[in-house]
Amino acid sequence: MWTQVSQSLHESMARVISRIATLLPGILAFILAVLFFAAIAWLLAWLVRTFLNAIRIDERLARGTNAIAEWSPTYTPTTLITRVVVWCVVLIGFLVGLEAFGASSDNLLSARLLGYIPNVVGAVVLLLLGNVIARFLSRSVLIGAVNMNLHYARLLSLGIKWLVLVLTAAMVLDHLSIGAAIVDLAFGILFGGIVLALALAVGLGSRDLVSRSLEREAARPAAETMPEEQFRHF
Amino acid sequence: MAKLELSEETKAEIEEVREADLLVAVAVPVDTEQLRAAATQAILGNSNPALTSLRTVVAFPGPTGAEALPQVGTELETAETDGGLRFVPYTLPSADPSRIPWLPAASTYQALFSMARDLKVSACAVIGFDLTALQTNFLAPMMSAVLEKRCQLAMPLYALGKFDGLLNSSMHAPLTRALYGRRVRFPLAPDFCLSSEMLPELEVALQRTIAQGQSIFWPATEAAIRDCTICQVHVETRHVPPADGVDLSTVLAQTVGPLFADMMTNAPLWQRIRGSQAVETLGTAVSPPADGAPADTTPMVETFQLGFRNLQEVWSLVLPPVTLLELKRLARPSTSRFHLPDELWVRIVYDFALAYRLRTISRTHLLGALTPLYLGWVASYALEVGNCSAADAEQRLEKLARAYEEGKPYLLSRWRWPDRFNP
Repeated sequence: MWTQVSQSLHESMARVISRIATLLPGILAFILAVLFFAAIAWLLAWLVRTFLNAIRIDERLARGTNAIAEWSPTYTPTTLITRVVVWCVVLIGFLVGLEAFGASSDNLLSARLLGYIPNVVGAVVLLLLGNVIARFLSRSVLIGAVNMNLHYARLLSLGIKWLVLVLTAAMVLDHLSIGAAIVDLAFGILFGGIVLALALAVGLGSRDLVSRSLEREAARPAAETMPEEQFRHF
Repeated sequence: MAKLELSEETKAEIEEVREADLLVAVAVPVDTEQLRAAATQAILGNSNPALTSLRTVVAFPGPTGAEALPQVGTELETAETDGGLRFVPYTLPSADPSRIPWLPAASTYQALFSMARDLKVSACAVIGFDLTALQTNFLAPMMSAVLEKRCQLAMPLYALGKFDGLLNSSMHAPLTRALYGRRVRFPLAPDFCLSSEMLPELEVALQRTIAQGQSIFWPATEAAIRDCTICQVHVETRHVPPADGVDLSTVLAQTVGPLFADMMTNAPLWQRIRGSQAVETLGTAVSPPADGAPADTTPMVETFQLGFRNLQEVWSLVLPPVTLLELKRLARPSTSRFHLPDELWVRIVYDFALAYRLRTISRTHLLGALTPLYLGWVASYALEVGNCSAADAEQRLEKLARAYEEGKPYLLSRWRWPDRFNP
């Protein structure tokens, strides 16, 4: 009996080792593909940077307020474009590597994994974009609200930020096919609930406040506006 | 920004005129009838024979081409029989709706200077903002400075109240003075005069300004950089910006932003300049308007405090910790003792200029975040000069300008080594 157990263990060990051995070319192909494409990415980045510097794109885009600089103030347009090119090529290398890995392993799991990769990439892009947009909008609202002398500026800014983040999270989950209808439903309820709550709060809770404010504004005598006119900024 | 091309009709008018002595260049949209009356009175009705004898062309933004002929043609004939006055319409570039409507765009100056060059004038008077300059005694003293005193650029010295032109007093004037070394009180004046020698210099400067996408042109800065003769002339003119329309943060962003952008362009030049020189001041000082009711600074202090409570995360990206600590002390709720020291204000402006250059945050956000700090300065200044005369307030602003000059080493250090530790 002990011999049979030992034989069985040896056979399973041999199967696992042979499985790993069959995966090794795939792993090697994956690493090679990624390295090869990383080298291409580096070369392309150098070419793109040289070209962009030659046409002085930073200088051209720096004229006035441009969208790239406003949304990504830390990086120059050349750096941003170069990085996008690099990561796109590296991503292609990653996909080629995975394809090579899948072809060599002939495994159902790797095939499924391969098919899921575009969803993951899309979700990551959505997440990054959502975060950038949320941060930009919340800061814009915060500064605008402070300059308008609104005492609830931070609340407004946080509200905008979380609305965008919740929307992004729902889109990411939807893209990843996680939760499917539940996420849609939950998001609809949450978003609709927030909007309804705000509408009710303004419509009912602040009705008196709004009417008082409007009445005060309408009844304000002309002399009351004088203090603001005492200062001419330009 | 699109370069303004003169229309064929305008070119034809200029060719017909051929030569003139003076171009009065109106750079903002105005009422044609009012312009005609004001220009005729200012030039032909002037008691100074040196001005009335000049062959003068008045360029104004108005309809050109066939549609304009019935309206403008009669005016031209009438004006010509009146004397040496000629009215030439030109087309303004399509306005960006977010622009300050009463500040001429750089491309407008370019078109006007090109007209002045084509007309071979001896002097050019730019009228911005509105027609107030033509309706007051402006042209005669300014022209005298250019034609008789040989000033290449004559900037007006407006007689303003102590609470007028505060953006200019707090940032535009002292910053340009500290940077470029010339004590020009109104470097962004909408009205100014220049000699024919200045025209090619300013045209080159304008080409660069437009190529860089900047919308505002700083004639005094360009003249200072080129070491031209600048004069200041006391004038009676006083512009009153319309109360409605553009809000403070927009005005601040659209005037201070280009100033910071100019700092980047001219960095190699201003880093070499130390101290400042007075420019020749001509004419008789005009008494400023009488003080009104005591100023109420509470709303501005409240905006500053609100800004401190909410914008710390933005300010901390721009300002060093010691500045934030001083702002924290200032934001304590006791408005009667509210005082923003000059040194602190100067460091704030310099740090914002550096952040503009480094793009630490979005430039729109950066200039928006400066507004509560600026209101803090206004409140502090108003509390300090509330009971002073206009002359004392002017002395106070001179002290601020000196603080800008004394703080320039800080700017130089931060500009050259922005990553160096700054507590």
